[in-house]
Parts: sequence; structure tokens; C-alpha cells
Amino acid sequence: MSRISVPTTARLPSTLRVEPSNPTVIKILNRLSRPSLISLALEWLDENHLPLAVPYLRDDEDDGQDENDFYPPETSPGALQEEYRSLQARKGSKREIIDRITTGDWRHGLTLYQLAMADLQYLYDHPTSQKWSAYRIVPLKPASDPEGDENPQEVDRTSLVVPPFHPSVFLKSLQTQILPDIKAHYQFDRHKTLALMILRIFILDSPYSTNLSLSSSFDSSRTFYIAFPDASPHVYLSRPQTVGAASAAASSGGEAKSLRNLIVEGIPKALSRPRQRFALTSTSLTTRNLEEMLERRGSARTNSAGGGWSVYADEKVKESPLQTVLPSPPLSEDGVGKEGGKRRRGKEEAGLITQAERKVEQAMKRARLVAKARFGETAKVGDGKGVERVDLVLEDKFPDFSDDEDEAAGEGNREGRLRRREPGGPSVRGGGVEMDLDRMDVDEQDDQREMDAVGSDWRPFVRLTFHGSHVFAGIRQLVECGVIDGEKMPGWMTGEEGVTMGAVRNGRIRGHKGSGL
Amino acid sequence: MASSSPPPPPPTLEDEISHLQTKINKLNSLLSLQTSTLLAAPSTRQLIPASSPLLTVSDSQLSHNQSSLYRSCATLTLFRARDPDPNAVDSGSILGLRIEVLSRTKFLRPYYVLLNRPYPSSKHLRVHRHTIPPCIPLSGLAGRYLPAPGKGKKKSQQDLARFAKTLRREVNRYHHRMGVVADLRKAAGLTGRDKEERGGHGDGDGDGELVDISPADAEVKTVTFEWADGRLGRLVMGDDGEVLKLVVLGGDAGGRDRETGRELLGGAVNVEEVIRRLASGA
Repeated sequence: MSRISVPTTARLPSTLRVEPSNPTVIKILNRLSRPSLISLALEWLDENHLPLAVPYLRDDEDDGQDENDFYPPETSPGALQEEYRSLQARKGSKREIIDRITTGDWRHGLTLYQLAMADLQYLYDHPTSQKWSAYRIVPLKPASDPEGDENPQEVDRTSLVVPPFHPSVFLKSLQTQILPDIKAHYQFDRHKTLALMILRIFILDSPYSTNLSLSSSFDSSRTFYIAFPDASPHVYLSRPQTVGAASAAASSGGEAKSLRNLIVEGIPKALSRPRQRFALTSTSLTTRNLEEMLERRGSARTNSAGGGWSVYADEKVKESPLQTVLPSPPLSEDGVGKEGGKRRRGKEEAGLITQAERKVEQAMKRARLVAKARFGETAKVGDGKGVERVDLVLEDKFPDFSDDEDEAAGEGNREGRLRRREPGGPSVRGGGVEMDLDRMDVDEQDDQREMDAVGSDWRPFVRLTFHGSHVFAGIRQLVECGVIDGEKMPGWMTGEEGVTMGAVRNGRIRGHKGSGL
Repeated sequence: MASSSPPPPPPTLEDEISHLQTKINKLNSLLSLQTSTLLAAPSTRQLIPASSPLLTVSDSQLSHNQSSLYRSCATLTLFRARDPDPNAVDSGSILGLRIEVLSRTKFLRPYYVLLNRPYPSSKHLRVHRHTIPPCIPLSGLAGRYLPAPGKGKKKSQQDLARFAKTLRREVNRYHHRMGVVADLRKAAGLTGRDKEERGGHGDGDGDGELVDISPADAEVKTVTFEWADGRLGRLVMGDDGEVLKLVVLGGDAGGRDRETGRELLGGAVNVEEVIRRLASGA
């Protein structure tokens, strides 16, 4: 341990050790299961990680072994690896492994690197433990006045720049953005199954990068993650989790949040380069499911083709212009359907199916086809790509039952209806919702115009929250069962916009979220 | 039928069924191919009487053939679609833009851009949905060529043709760059089969060998070269495949290794020349 603590701007070194008795260490290790702990220990002893996770070893010359030592130290990492392999084969408790790690093989402390690996292991074991929000990296217009800060930076809508991302450069410039009075430890890791790069940031509220600053209990809620999807101009940030007692969360939670905000503000600056500035904008998608995140904000074709539009993005469909065979229109009955039809007709002739049963069956079939048309290949129960919460604010006018026939005439008349209403009038805008909307809105201009035209109607405050393991798959099932009329169902119920927060106006989510532009 | 003469290695019934099934599928596809060819032939059309329902099938076959012809030759086609959302703008009318990409002698799944007209008082288009990967700056192109209608006197003009052309070029460039990286790998003997062969006749044939070539950024404009001795190179490609920058780091002295860079490039100004050099060298 160095004798003098000098505040520096450097990041926390990965080799810095934390006392094993520290409650945070115990908490991090306790979260893991026994197999994960053993594989983690084996990984630490792997030669790639060994320099940053040196175990407590015995010198060869020094034979004076402590009789009371419950976990006598080994002589080499190889022998230790053997030890853990044998533990892997044996059955036992998790407690045993944690004891071995904290009071035996790493009794002199676990490095920050090891703690980071343990935390990331927990993330892989429990993929839904973090809540992620997707942000889009957008290029900014070069400042017209480089000296003055008064003009807010504008998003450059005509820029053709795809933001580049280089992990080491990013980390270096992120470090320079962080003030010297807090310290952070960073660790990059490649996600094991998904096309993601995960950066774990651990923030310590101390200007010193010595062991002493780590000796007191620190809060694990000051850890957060940034995920960088491959080849996609998006960043996923994990939400800070409120852990601990409610009273403690009130004070330290807010503090952790502000520390996190410091880093979040640094991210776009770290991505920027001279004469090329970027900013982060929210894309209104928050979910625990990283797979869904990659589907909606990833690098593939599916980003802006959700719901029924997914038929255009499905790469499995062969659609070569050299194919001369007439394509069967989508949703037509294929061979299996025909056979089923034949069988049914046979049954019908035999008098096994009554007229009513057939009607029900036809209705069911139609409902399934409609569901297929509206949802495409998305929102299926077992696909593992579900959002768990969708919040919507309905801003539509209260249905006017007096002009029913007008409604029935369909959307084509919408413009006509707008014109019929008395124009202008001060638009009545509510408080809380509007603040929400202002925050989310990206396309103020044209929405504004629509608002002015229809502003004077009574619009009740309706807030909808869908909650479940896979929200849109649930809605799809309801359509398939015929509970929801799939043909009259508004588009935002199919999840094609790819947002989990939004405001609905004129039956559509405001701001043209689905195009991803 | 099969049970009458059991052959020495008795094929199970499942084998036979699956075999027959594949045969049926093959014959079915052959039948539909022949049907489509016959239906579109001018001589067949003369034989079909005017009142026959076959004529409509023939008509649709002909129109399909024509659109396929446009798709494969022009590679940029328009189509109409409908938005299933009952609240869709403009009663759900959608203008679709289909961009074909030919890569490695095959047509890939086309890329689609679906446009609608959400603005109440103008006929301006807006990108509604699309399947363009995010490494192509679609939003920038849309901002340039399909701006939203301006307010008051500031009228903005949209240029769908230029938008489509530029977008098609960007998509094709992206696929060409990917093809170039694949060609580089092939020329350096890094594709699966070549690598195995090389591994067979000795590992110790020098540290100066390339061990990996891979794209380093989303747009595939930067390519990383990795040598067996840990040297690392970065090549930056321009829009037309010209070599903009090349740097090799590492080597014996550490720092920049200009020697290897010169060796790799050999005066080439184009990535294709680098491929040729690599192929002839290996």
C-alpha cells in the first residue's frame, strides 16, 4: 500500500485489491451459484487473467506451514486449478467455495478486475437482471460559433456519418471527461452469446486510487453497464438499480444517480472526435431483454420493420428475381392447409362436424391469419424477444358517438374531419403528460401542426401500462383467440413501433418512432 | 409393395417415406416451373381461348415475368403496399422501394424502404418502415432528399429519384466492401479450407504471415490485418475502393512498421490491387 494518497485523474487500476471481508465483496460473490463460482475461479487462474488475479500462494522454500490454516496455500496456480477442478466434480455448498476464495486462496484481497468478472458473470447468469435503455448516437451540426456556448447544439439531419466506435479510444476519452474527485474502474467484455460489447463501470466516490479508499464499504449500486451493439449506432445503458433499504436508497440512490449522470454525459463526448460531434438521444425503448434490444436497435434489417412489416426483413424468404414461378400470395393456404381442408370436408360428409362447429373453426382460422398479418413472425411466445412493460399515454379525442357514420367511413376522411372543425384556439395542454412528451418528442414540427388543428377537443387523460413476460406475444395470443379484433386493432398494439414508452395520437404513436429516423 | 422383395440392407419405412417425399417435392417444383414457362410462352397464349380462366393466370404470369425482369436489370423498383393499421395515414397507402443486391453471383433478399404521406397538406413522402441496415446512413439521405415540407414560404422540394439512386449506391458499396474483405481473406489464404491445408504443411513457416483480415467498423470501411507475430495493420478504404490510409503497428522495434506497410501495399492505390498482390504472393 502506498504511504501517501495523492488525488489523480487516473482511473482505478485493475490490480487494486479489496479486502475479502468487505461486505460488497461478500455480496457480489453471494449472488453467484456454485458452478458459476468455480468456473469463475478457474477463469481467474487462467494464464490470460492470472496477472490481474494473483492468488495467495506458498513459497517453495518456506516450509513452515500454519497448522491452523484451514485452506493451506498451494504452491502454484496449476495446483490450484486442479483443486478447483476437483471441487467442480464434487457436490457441495456454495458457502464452501466462497469461504475458500475469501479466507483461503484470495485472503489477501480480490482485485477490482476479479470483482468486475464476478459481476459480469452474474449478468450472464441472469440476463434479465439489468434494465436497459436504448439510446441512439446522432451526429451534431458543427458549431457555427466555436467560442460561444449559448447556441444549443443542433442535430444534423443530413449528415451521412455513421458513428465509429473503437473501445480503447472511447475509454481513453471517457476517462478525460470524468472529474478527478470520483474514481472509476472500467472493464470491457465481449458478450458470450450476443453481438455485444459490454463495458462495466464501477464508480467510487473518492479522489484517491489506493487500497485505503476501497477499505470502507462501498455501494454496489454504483456499478452500471454500457452495451455497444456491433455495427449499430446505438448504445444501451443499464438503469441504476435501487437496492437496499428504502431510507438508504433515498439518499445514496440519488447520489449514485448523479455520479452515473456524470458518466452518461461523458459518453457522447467520448464518442466524439474533433470536428465530429455526437449526442445521445433516447429511443423510448427500455427492456430487460438484450435479445429484443438487438432485434430493435441492432445491426440487422429488423430495426425499423417490426410487427407485420417483419415479412420484409425475413432473410429466410427467398425472393430472387430470377425465380419465374408465380409467388403464392402471403397468408394463402399452403399444402398442409389443403390437406387439413380435405380431411375436414371428409369429416363433414360423415356428419362429424356440425354447421356451428365449422363456423367457430373458420373464425378461429381467420383470427390466426389476421394475427399473422398484423404481427408477422414477431411476438411469438417462445422467441425470447419480449418486452416486459409498455407504457402509453392516449391523447386521442374522446370518441364522439354522434357521428358514428363518419367514423365508419374510415380513415380516409380524417383530413376532411379536421377541416370541418373550427380552426385554431389555444391548445389546452396538460401538465405532467406534456412534460413527458416534450422529453420524448423528436418530431415537433409536423406533430405541432396536427395538434393546433385538433387542440380544442376534450381529451381525457388515459394512461395504459401493459405488463408481462412478453407483452406483444400476449396481445398476439388474444388476437389469435379472437378476444381482440385483429383487423380493428391499432398499430401500436402490435409493437411494430419498437418503443416501450409513447404517446398515442390519432391512433398512432407520435413522432414516427417506427421508421427509426 | 416394398415388402415383396426385401433388399439385403433393409431400408426402414421412414427412410423410404422421406425419400419419396423429397422426390414429390422435387417433381412438384419442376411441375410449377414448367407450368410457369408454358403459361408465359407466346405460342401457348395463342392456344388459350379468350373465355378460359387460364388467360388470367397467364396474364399474371406475364406481369410477374416482366416485374422480375425489371427487378433483375434495373435493381431498383417500386411497388404499392397497404398498411394494415386501421389508423394509418393516407388510408394506408404505401409506396415501396425495392433495392436488389447481387452478391457472389446470387441475388440477396432485397432491401425495402416503405414510404407514406403523413403530411396533411402536402404530398411529401416520409420513410415509414425500412429494412436498411443501420450502417447505411439512411436518415441522412432522407434528410437530404426527402425533407419534411417547410412552413410558410420556406418550401422544400423532395427528390425521390435521387434519394433512391443514392441509397442504392450506398447499399451496393457496402456489399462491395464486404466482398472486398472476403476477397482479401481468400487471397491471403484465410478461408476455411485453405487454412486447414496450410496448417497441414507446417506451422513454422514464418511470423510474417497474415493470420486474420477482418472489417473493423460498421461500414466496413476500415479493415484490420493481423500478422502471426502480433503486428497489427489498419487499412481505410474510400468510397470507390481506393486505399486512403494504411498503418501497421508493432513489429520488432514496436511503434510504426512502415516496412510491412510498404510490402503489403507495394504501390497499390486500390484495394483490388492489394488483393491481386496478396493472391500472387501466396
